[in-house]
Amino acid sequence: MPFDTEEDGMSRRSFLRTSTVLSAGVAAVAAGLAPLRKLGEFTSVDQFLQKYYKELTPQEMKTVLERIETEVQRQYGVRPHVRDYKPMNGVEYVYALNLTRCVGCRKCVHACVAENNQSRNPEIQYIRVLKMPNDGTFDMDKGDHNYAPKSVPEPGFFFMPVQCHQCKNPPCVKVCPVKATWQEPDGITVIDYNWCIGCRYCEAACPYFARRFNFASPSIPSEQLNTNMSYLGNRPRYKGVVEKCHFCIQRSRVGRYPACVEVCPTGSRKFGNILDPKSEVSYILKNKRVLVLKAELGTLPRFFYYFDI
Amino acid sequence: MNGDPKARNVLALLTALFLALAVGFALVPAQPGAPVRVPIVPRSALAIAPMTVRISAAQLVKSGGDVSGLDCYACHHKESPPEIKSDAAHRIVLPREHTDLILGMRNCAECHPPSDPVKLDYDDSGNVIVPKAHKGLVSMAHGRNFRNENCYNCHDRDQLDQLHTPDGEKLKFEQATLLCASCHGPTYRDWLAGAHGRTAGYWDRSAGPIDRQECASCHDPHAPAFTGLIPMPGPHLLHPLPKGQPAPSKPDDHAL
Repeated sequence: MPFDTEEDGMSRRSFLRTSTVLSAGVAAVAAGLAPLRKLGEFTSVDQFLQKYYKELTPQEMKTVLERIETEVQRQYGVRPHVRDYKPMNGVEYVYALNLTRCVGCRKCVHACVAENNQSRNPEIQYIRVLKMPNDGTFDMDKGDHNYAPKSVPEPGFFFMPVQCHQCKNPPCVKVCPVKATWQEPDGITVIDYNWCIGCRYCEAACPYFARRFNFASPSIPSEQLNTNMSYLGNRPRYKGVVEKCHFCIQRSRVGRYPACVEVCPTGSRKFGNILDPKSEVSYILKNKRVLVLKAELGTLPRFFYYFDI
Repeated sequence: MNGDPKARNVLALLTALFLALAVGFALVPAQPGAPVRVPIVPRSALAIAPMTVRISAAQLVKSGGDVSGLDCYACHHKESPPEIKSDAAHRIVLPREHTDLILGMRNCAECHPPSDPVKLDYDDSGNVIVPKAHKGLVSMAHGRNFRNENCYNCHDRDQLDQLHTPDGEKLKFEQATLLCASCHGPTYRDWLAGAHGRTAGYWDRSAGPIDRQECASCHDPHAPAFTGLIPMPGPHLLHPLPKGQPAPSKPDDHAL
């Protein structure tokens, strides 16, 4: 900083001027950084230094799960049970949805929200039900997801719920710059919410509009929190990370049906192990007319639409 | 700092600006826009319980429930099976008493003891005059035409507490699924394989049981087609709909 050189040392005037400028600058920087003081609520040193999911030893994972339980308890006042469910041997999940039966009642959407602790405000929903014109098209752009008639189904339309297709050749996994999302051996594409940097490349890469971004901190009423949580699944997410359907990993990996299957009043939704020749999805893929959405993209979804007749 | 008065003025201005900014940041909190209120969907609207639709006679029998109301001969006489009445257009006139009595957990015998059989009143055209207590209970719509509305297509004329298939096989009420299968073969085949009907429980049979529903648990056998459902709310609209479009329904409308 140049000083007045007319005198030896510092004049009163230049001292005052310099100190005023300096203190104003310091105050401005401090005020600018003020939001960082709140960072302590969102992150801890342990969370910041946490290793990549695949590098965590079982002991470290245990510590991480306990830390997450404490974090959730601090935020919601309920102690959840967070576990790290591993894929089963000899299991590959496949989903089949009967377009002849689906009436578009959206119960699956809200059962999913309740089961998987999605943010209620801002609203995040994994399943989008499209009302499609009954003219032989499967162009998602022709679908309307804001339909609100007095009663469904509506004549002249069919209803096509779209969610993560758990592709065998997932474009979302390819584009992730930090490998925060990957495909598990049982076919579920998962996300490590602690590793995601929120670049949203995967969201742009998904041709099925399956991924959702947490633009704000999720808000869930404490009494509606599902305390059966999994690390890669339905534990509360952070602001700035991507999430999506994971076939209710906390249910499917203990042998149960996903929430959307159980809630469907028309029985349109079918789920099971495609490697088991006696499972209902094996029967459907063998015997029914099956459709894959956007098959021309070569994503090889594990989510099939089928028809009766 | 050089002695250029212009530079000095600019510096003074900048200093004042930064000071004002610092004071402003410190004093005035950030003001986000008005929060968007997204209605919370109540848990009751989801009703993951498998039996949300109805309780069939078969389920009642199998679960050991009270089946005394299922006694046909509380009203009818065994030696004189009821005649089927038709109107001028040869449509079958259904006695209003025979809506799905189990659906509302109504029990005929509560009001009509077997010792006191009901006498039916008829109007001039021969239709049953429905008592007020039974109003609004009837539905008979099996199929898209009225040919299958004849009671004795499924119910046995001589044994009213039994069913019979078109080829004459007699079935009990709790075997009703086989009766449905006698006409709806492909659907029955799908149901056996798990591809038709609601499922809950465990996909992994070694981990736990699967929860399947039989035909009459979801379909009313007298009017098997589903009536419409009120759709649950769609994704929240961050901007108002264009004019002429109906407003989305509220979550309170959806408790089953």
